[in-house]
Amino acid sequence: MRRLNMATQIVMDRTGDTRHEFDPDNAEALARAERRFRELTGAGFTAALRTGPGEVTQIRSFDPTAHETLFYPRLVGG
Amino acid sequence: MIGAVWLRAPARARLHALRELYRRFFGENTPDARGRRLLAEWLSPAQRAQFEQHRYFDVIGCDTGRTYRIHYGTAANVHEIDHNGRATMGWCFVPSGFLVPGDVMLAQKIALETSETAALALANRFPPATHTEHFYRRPF
Repeated sequence: MRRLNMATQIVMDRTGDTRHEFDPDNAEALARAERRFRELTGAGFTAALRTGPGEVTQIRSFDPTAHETLFYPRLVGG
Repeated sequence: MIGAVWLRAPARARLHALRELYRRFFGENTPDARGRRLLAEWLSPAQRAQFEQHRYFDVIGCDTGRTYRIHYGTAANVHEIDHNGRATMGWCFVPSGFLVPGDVMLAQKIALETSETAALALANRFPPATHTEHFYRRPF
């Protein structure tokens, strides 16, 4: 059964998105999530959090308390 | 007529039809549908209502306070608008890779609301009259 305090990292991709759920109370899972955060942002992805209905903020370092983090690829001129 | 055919159809066919109906209306799991769902989750209630009604939504740039209208699409879909809702400039910037429209629009919203100047610095401008409403295809 899914735990209520599970956190999610959402990565935009050609399938729409890929979601990585993890238990923030599990040190090993949290370390994996932090590693994923570093890999994605290192590859040019932008990380964003929802701070309210429709309100967003960008983050540049891993937030272990974030319930949901969204990653989108580097922006380019169209 | 349809009711009569429905009653005569074998149970398996009816079940198949029901499953297909469910899949189409409730269980859409296509990249497009997933992108639209993600977008809807991250929009404000006002933006969501606007998007559902008009296929676009407005965002306020965090640095200049200007208003941008993000249309359904994956390119050349952002317009700066004036107080009357008229497009004054087109801005083209997109996330790299092959993303569905909902994802592209969400990335554009976040970029304009959190790092407007940086987003516009890499964007290409285009005259707003280049594309009419017909350019933006109906999403759903």
